[in-house]
Amino acid sequence: MIDLRELILPKDQLLPFLRKLKKESRLIAPVQNNYGDTLFTEIDDLDAVKIDLCHQPQASLKPFLLPQQEILASYRSDNKGYRFYEPEEEEDTIYFGVRSCDLTAVLYTDLVFSQPVKDSSYYKRRNQSTIITIGCNQPFSNCFCEATESGPYLEYGYDLQLIDIGEAYFVSAGRSKGADILDKWSYFFRSVEKEDREKRYQLLLEVRGKFNKNIQVSHACRLLQEHEVEEQIWQQLSSRCYDCGGCAYVCPTCTCFSVDDTPIDSNKGLRLRSWDACTSAGFTRMTGGHNPVDRRQHALKRRFLHKLKFDFAEHGKPSCTGCGRCIDICFGGVDITSFIRLLVKGERA
Amino acid sequence: MTNSIGELQDADVFLVTGSNTTETHPQIARNILQGVDQGAQLIVIDPRKTDLAKQAHIHLALRPGTDIALINAMMRIIIDENLADELFISMRTENYEALRDFLFRLDLDEIAAITGIELKTIRDAACIYARSSKSVICYCLGVTQHCCGTDNVQTVANLAMLTGNVEKEHGGVDPLRGQNNVQGACDMAALPAVLPGYQAITNLDTCTRFREVWKREIPQNPGLSLTEMTHAGADGNIRAMFIMGENPVLSDPHLKQVEKTLTNLDFLAVSDIFLTETASLAHVVFPAASFAEKNGTITNSERRVQLCQQAINPIGNCRPDGEIIMELGRRLGCPGMDFQSQAEVMEEISLLTPIYGGMHYDRLQENWGLQWPCWNRDHPGTKFLHKYYFSRGKGQFTVTRHQEPAERTEKHYPFTLLTGRGSYHHYHTATMTRNSTRLVREYPEALLEISKEDCTKLHLADGDLVELNSRRGKVRVKTQITDRVQPGTVFTSFHFWEVPINQLTVDAMDPRSKCPEFKVCAVDLKKVCHD
Amino acid sequence: MKEIFIPDRAVIREILNENKQIKTFRLELLDKTHPFSFRPGQFLMLSVPHCGEAAISISSSPTALPLIDLSIRKAGKLTTAVHALQVGDEVGIRGPFGTFFPVANFHGRDLLFVAGGIGLAPLKGVIDVCLFQQELEENPVQQITLLYGSRTVADIAFSQAIEAWRQQGVDCQLTVDIDELDWQDHVGLVTDLLKPELLTKDTTALICGPPIMIRFVIAQLSEMGLSDTAILTTLERHMKCGMGLCGHCHLDGKLVCVDGPVFTYAALKNLHVMELN
Repeated sequence: MIDLRELILPKDQLLPFLRKLKKESRLIAPVQNNYGDTLFTEIDDLDAVKIDLCHQPQASLKPFLLPQQEILASYRSDNKGYRFYEPEEEEDTIYFGVRSCDLTAVLYTDLVFSQPVKDSSYYKRRNQSTIITIGCNQPFSNCFCEATESGPYLEYGYDLQLIDIGEAYFVSAGRSKGADILDKWSYFFRSVEKEDREKRYQLLLEVRGKFNKNIQVSHACRLLQEHEVEEQIWQQLSSRCYDCGGCAYVCPTCTCFSVDDTPIDSNKGLRLRSWDACTSAGFTRMTGGHNPVDRRQHALKRRFLHKLKFDFAEHGKPSCTGCGRCIDICFGGVDITSFIRLLVKGERA
Repeated sequence: MTNSIGELQDADVFLVTGSNTTETHPQIARNILQGVDQGAQLIVIDPRKTDLAKQAHIHLALRPGTDIALINAMMRIIIDENLADELFISMRTENYEALRDFLFRLDLDEIAAITGIELKTIRDAACIYARSSKSVICYCLGVTQHCCGTDNVQTVANLAMLTGNVEKEHGGVDPLRGQNNVQGACDMAALPAVLPGYQAITNLDTCTRFREVWKREIPQNPGLSLTEMTHAGADGNIRAMFIMGENPVLSDPHLKQVEKTLTNLDFLAVSDIFLTETASLAHVVFPAASFAEKNGTITNSERRVQLCQQAINPIGNCRPDGEIIMELGRRLGCPGMDFQSQAEVMEEISLLTPIYGGMHYDRLQENWGLQWPCWNRDHPGTKFLHKYYFSRGKGQFTVTRHQEPAERTEKHYPFTLLTGRGSYHHYHTATMTRNSTRLVREYPEALLEISKEDCTKLHLADGDLVELNSRRGKVRVKTQITDRVQPGTVFTSFHFWEVPINQLTVDAMDPRSKCPEFKVCAVDLKKVCHD
Repeated sequence: MKEIFIPDRAVIREILNENKQIKTFRLELLDKTHPFSFRPGQFLMLSVPHCGEAAISISSSPTALPLIDLSIRKAGKLTTAVHALQVGDEVGIRGPFGTFFPVANFHGRDLLFVAGGIGLAPLKGVIDVCLFQQELEENPVQQITLLYGSRTVADIAFSQAIEAWRQQGVDCQLTVDIDELDWQDHVGLVTDLLKPELLTKDTTALICGPPIMIRFVIAQLSEMGLSDTAILTTLERHMKCGMGLCGHCHLDGKLVCVDGPVFTYAALKNLHVMELN
C-alpha cells in the first residue's frame, strides 16, 4: 500500500533538501546557462548554478530517458564469430523541476515502451529514475496543457509534486519512491494546514484562467474518431512541412527511433538507437524504392493522427501534452495546433 | 540584408527573386510565411516552381536569365501607373531621368515575349509591389550567378528606390547569404579589392592605418577573384594555393579547368573538416575544427555578429582555422600572429574596421550580438540600413539592359540547365551533409528535375539514367519527373561528386563581381541504355 | 530484464543460389539453451556486421528446425553484404516476430498460393508445412495450387522447391512477363493464371509479391467471389525493431510488425494501404 502523503516544504529548505538528495544520486534540474537558455542539466555543484523554475526548459526529459543517440549494444565480428554485448548499467537519477506536461509525456512513454514488449534499454534508465515535478502557476506563451489534460497540476504519476504557494511548496507524494523520500527527510517539512490547502486550490483556479492559447484538443480528437480528414488539409499542411524533423525531436512523446550500426574499426562497432521522425520520406521508404507514404501529400498525417486519433482511441487521451515546443520550432507554421485549428474550422464550414 | 530578419514578418509585400528560400534559408522563409499568414502578398520570380513559388500569390516563372527585362518592365508599369515615389526619388536619389527615359523607350510586349510571362501578370506583380509602402525584396544566387549578375542586382535596387522601399523598417533589399559566415568572410575582406569593412585598398589613408598596425606593406592593386584563381590553368602565374573550407573541385564552374589549375600548382595546402575532393589533391592537409569545437564569431545575413561558443573539445588533432592561420603566419615570419584570445582578435577588428568599431568581445556576449554598422562602444548597432542616407550619399539609378545568357540553347544543345541546391538535406558539395546517415537516407543521390512533357518527348521514365552533355563535359544522372521545372529546362544540384555537374557549366562570369554564370547553360540529354 | 535488442548468434550452414539476385541462407542458432520456434509467415531481424538489421521472412517450415531458411534478394547495403557471406560465417538474428499464416485453420481447405518474385519466400514455409501435415493429419489440407510469376525465365527462383512440390502433388503454374525462346509455359502476368475454376467453396488464397501484384490479385479474387476472410496476404515494410516500438512500419494506426505482416483482406480493407490503392 502506497502511503500518499502531503507536506509543506518552506522555500528556504529547498536547497538543503536537494543537497541531501544529490548526495545519494545524480541530480538533474532546469538550469539557466550563460546564454539565457534554460535546459535540464546534470548538477555537479548546487552552489555554482541557478536552478530555474521560472522558465520552461527548452527540451523535455526525453534527451535523458530516451537519448538522442544511445548505445543499444556493442558488437565484435572476427574469427571468433559475431557477438553482441550489452551496454553499461545506468545510475540512480533524480529529475527535479519537471513540468506536468513533461511528466505526462514520460508516463505515456512508459506505456509505449512496455507493450507489446518491455523496452529493456529504456526501462533500464526509467527504473533508476525519480521524478519531482513542479506545478505551473503561470503558463508559458505556447502552453495548452489544460486542453490536453496534462497540467497545470497533476493528480498522479509523479514521485513528488511541488506547488509553489508563496513562501513554501505544497508537496505531494504520488508514488512510493516519493513517499520514501518524504519519510527519510521529514525534518525539512511541516504538516499541511487548512490555509495551505486553500491557497493551493485558489492558485489552481487562477492559473486555469491564464492560458494564452485556446486549442480544442479533445474536440479535435473526437472529430477524428468519426470523420476522415479532408485530403486538402493534409496537402495544405504538407506543402509547408520542410522535413526538418524538429517537431518530432522536441516532442516529449515522439518516441519513433532508428537503429544503425557505426563501425569503430573493421572488427567492432556500436549499434546505436537514435531519434527519428515520421515526417521524413526515408522513415518509411523500403529498400528498392517503394514508399507507402507520399511525403508531398501526407508528410504530417502520421504524426497528427497518431497523437490525436489512434492514441486517443487506445488510451482515451491524446499523446500531445500541450507543452507547445513544436509551435516555436516549426519553420512552416504547421504545428499540431494549426492542424487542430484547420480541422475544427473545416467542421464549421 | 538592409533589413533585419525579424522585421520581415511585418512587411506587406514580399518580392522573392532567385531564391529557393524554404530550402536554402528556412529561417527566413519562416518569417516570410508568417507574414503571408498575416495577410502579406507574396510574389516569387523564379524559373522553377519552388515550394515557395507554390505558396505565392503571383509566381513569375520567367525564362532563365531574363531578370533585367522583367524588372525593367515592372518599373515601366509602375511609372505608367503613377506609383513611383516621387518624393523619395527627388530627396534621396539621382540619375532618375536617365532611367525614366530609358524605360519609356521599352516595348512591353517585346519583354513579355523575352521573359515568357504575360504582360498582365507582370502588371499585377508591379502594382502589388509598388502600392505597398512596406515591400521587401529578398534575392539570392538566382540573381547574382549570371554573367549580368551585377546589373541584375542594380536593377533590383532601381526597383526598390523607384518605390521608396528602402531605408525603412519593413522595406528594403535583402540579399540572402549562403554559408553561416559568408557575410563575416566578406566583412573581413576575403575579397580581392578591399580591406576589412569594405575599405578600398586604393584609399591611401586607410592603407597607412593598416600598415601601421600590421607592420606590412598593403598591396596597391586588387588581387584575383576566386574563379580567376581556380581557372588560371596550367600556365597561370599561380604557383601555390592555400584553400580553406572550400571545395572548388566540385563547386566551381567548368571543372576540368579547375582540376588542371590545381594539379599544376607547385604546392597546394587545404584546410577542411573532412577530406574533400579538393583536399585529396593537396600536398598538405590541415584537419580543421568544426563550429562546435571552437570559439569565435559568426556574422549572419542580417549583419549580426554573434558569438560561437565551443561545445566540445576538438576531435583528434584538428585545430581551429584561426590557430592554423596564426601558426602558418608565424612560420612564414609574419608579425603579430600571436593573438591570445578571441577578445584580442575582436579588438584589432574594431580598431581597423569602422563598421565593427564598437564590436568588442564583451559586448557580443550580451543578448544576440550586434548588427553592423556599430561605430563605437556606445553604439547600439543597426537594425536596418540606409536610414537618412545611402553608403555613397544619394542612391544612384543606373540604366541596365537585358542581356542574353552567355550560352544559348541551339539544335545540338536544346535544353537549358539550371543548377543550385537540390534539397534541404544537402549543403553545397555535401562535404558535411553526406557524413550524416539520416541526411543520406533522405536524399541518397543526385536527381535531374525534368518536366513530364520533356520526358514524354524523350521516352523517359521517372528514375531513368540519362547522360547530360554540354560543350564542356558530360555526366550521368537519374531523372525525377516534376512540375518544378518548365519544359525545355532541367535542374540539378552540385552536391554529389558522382555527378560533377560543374563539368558542364560555363566559365563565363560577371565582368565586375567575377561571379560565374552557374544558373544557365545549354545541354542535351539522352537515355543511357543498360548493358 | 530481457535484453530485447541483443541478437542471437547464428551460423550459415548452407547457401542456395535461387537466381541471380536471390540466395537462400540456411542458418542454425549457435546457442541451443533457449528453445526457438516459429510459425510460417513470421519474420526475423537479421544482423550483418556493420550493416545494422533488416526484417527478413523465414522461408522454411518449422519442420525443418533447427535449420532456418532466409531467402534474400540483393537490393540494398545489408542484403548486398549478406550475399557476400560464405558457409560458416555468422550472422545475428532476433525473433521470430509478427503474425503468421493460421495453418491450423486450413484443415480440409484448398489453398491457392499466388506469388511474384521474392514474394514466394514467406509462403514457401506454409506450403512445406501443409505438405508435411498432409501425411499425418486426419483432415489435412486438400488441393494446393501455386501461381508464381517472374519477370524473365532467369528470374524464376526456388526451382528446386517447386520441383519437389510438383512431385508431392502441388499444382504449380509458372508465368513470366517476358517471352523467351525455350520457355514452354505461360507468358503474361500472374493474374492471367487466376481462373475461376481454381476456386472452390473451400479455397483460401495466400498472396505475396510486389504491391501492384497484390492489389490486382486481391481485386480479382474478390470479384471472383472469394470472401474477405479467405484472402490472406503478407506485407513488407521498412522496420527497425520488429517489436512494435520503432514506429517505422505504421499502417493507419496499426503496426505491420505486430499486427502483421500477415493480414486478411478483411482486416486491410478499411485501412489506407499502399498495396490496395
